[in-house]
Amino acid sequence: MTRAEAELFIIRELRLIDERRFDDWLALFAPDCLYWLPIVEGDPAVEPSLVYDDLQRLKERIFRITASPPAQEPGSRTLHNVSNVDVAEAGEDGVRVLCNLTVFELRPGDPIQVGLAVQRVFAANAEYHLVNGPEWRIQLRKVWLLNRDEPLYNLTFLF
Amino acid sequence: MNLDIHDLVVESDHDFRVRTDVYTDPAIFELEMRRIFETTWVYVAHESELPKPGDYVSTTIGLQPVIVSRGDDGQVHVLLNRCRHRGSAVCRLERGHAEQFKCPYHGWVYGSDGKLLGIAQATGYPEGMPLSELGLAPAGRIATYRGLIFASLEPDGESLDERLSQVATYIDLWADRSPLGSVTLTRAAHKFLYAGNWKFQLDNGVDGYHGNYVHESFLAILEKAGEKTVRGYKDLRSTGSVVGLAHGDGFIDRPYGGMAGQFEYHDPKLSGYHEQLRQAYGPERAQAVLGQRNLLIFPNLFLFESHIRVIRPLSVNETIVLMQPTRLDGVSDELNTERLRTHERFFGPAGFGAPDDVEMFVDGQTGMKARGVEWSILSRGLHRETRGDGVWLGGHSTDEAPQRSAYREWKRWMAGAGGVTSSREA
Repeated sequence: MTRAEAELFIIRELRLIDERRFDDWLALFAPDCLYWLPIVEGDPAVEPSLVYDDLQRLKERIFRITASPPAQEPGSRTLHNVSNVDVAEAGEDGVRVLCNLTVFELRPGDPIQVGLAVQRVFAANAEYHLVNGPEWRIQLRKVWLLNRDEPLYNLTFLF
Repeated sequence: MNLDIHDLVVESDHDFRVRTDVYTDPAIFELEMRRIFETTWVYVAHESELPKPGDYVSTTIGLQPVIVSRGDDGQVHVLLNRCRHRGSAVCRLERGHAEQFKCPYHGWVYGSDGKLLGIAQATGYPEGMPLSELGLAPAGRIATYRGLIFASLEPDGESLDERLSQVATYIDLWADRSPLGSVTLTRAAHKFLYAGNWKFQLDNGVDGYHGNYVHESFLAILEKAGEKTVRGYKDLRSTGSVVGLAHGDGFIDRPYGGMAGQFEYHDPKLSGYHEQLRQAYGPERAQAVLGQRNLLIFPNLFLFESHIRVIRPLSVNETIVLMQPTRLDGVSDELNTERLRTHERFFGPAGFGAPDDVEMFVDGQTGMKARGVEWSILSRGLHRETRGDGVWLGGHSTDEAPQRSAYREWKRWMAGAGGVTSSREA
């Protein structure tokens, strides 16, 4: 996978999130995947993460986002940008891609409603492990938020 | 604020109400900081965060920055984070290890016990500077119970033992989730910041009424995963109870085998845990330990199965909530990891439950902009509770007995029952 191919893969993957095509997005993940937002460097078996999803829990996350819970009523609009794409390691079975993500999130509404009508911006380093098969699949999607260890308001959307 | 404190919380045999101003008035918030947070015992840190001399965390008591440190003498110190010279904070980091705290402004140096160790270019001061009196100002009182460090800025008042006399039994049950009777906090924590009053979290942490509605999506997830049916979960709301205690404490009480299901760890690969508890405490107490309690220790601490929760008010409509996961000492790493994964599934800003609670807190702040309706109603279950000596036992797990205890205590302190219109109350 070249850098241009990796970038295009991620651009298209992110577009699925922003277009709320969540089932198509899920289909990009390998069965042994991990979608991970750590809070600190350290062993995720010992330290809590913001998100530590295997495929089962990732499916639960999608179900929840689309089930209109209070934290998604109204739902989030998101816009994901990817930049600084670098294919850090490339082998026959897969590649490790490093990149930066910028995520904008907005829950639209009347500003009198506390928590709505506030556009938030998140910056992150991301690491993808993509595995080769009939199609490329995501085995690891690690998002290292700049404000990972700060007090945060609801994160009931996808990074 | 032109209101009498006594008019803010109204109680009779059939009625319990709290005025909107209690959640919205900046002047009431300021008074809460003085008369509650800066006067009563408040939780500041856990001993496992300070294992060695020189370890520290920085936090707040009310709005005041403090350092909680372990001195070379092994003692825990709670010190105002303010240089005695010109007022700069001497500690900027949230946690760490330091032999001393050095003021970045003019280089005054303090020990981890707060003593002033040295002044830069000391000959520049007149003779007779009382150096021994210029250490970092300590909190009035410090005491610990089962690893929980409490402090009060007021030097006088009841001892922590007196303060915790009723609730200690339930703190013990919480700590005894570990067969060694102690827990260790993880380094990282889940932290929320929400645009609402701190008491929305206080009210909700012991609220057994909202789950079926606010957490509908989580119940559906459990059903889809084959763990518990939504109907089954709703039926379990009728098990257990709620309890209000004196001193503003209270808890939801779910017995072993009931709601507690997801925090009991029945998985065969973890079954050694139950046996460990039986061996440590005997079968009867092991069963009590395995019940689930959301325990409020007024005003700023909750003990949950998976974590310690700390409320940190910032202003009348801004609050930080820390959810610090615990590891049980003396159990398998496998169990502690499973507990962590269970915690993450519901709690934290990206969990499947806690964000919905927080949404209710900001909804509360929105709704209370509407005036003309001046009260919120906390009378649920008044007609079916059993009252004893400083105990209010709810007739149903959805009743509001714990919240009523908290507001009775709130009113008592706000009316000056600390005996203190403190020196800080200008």
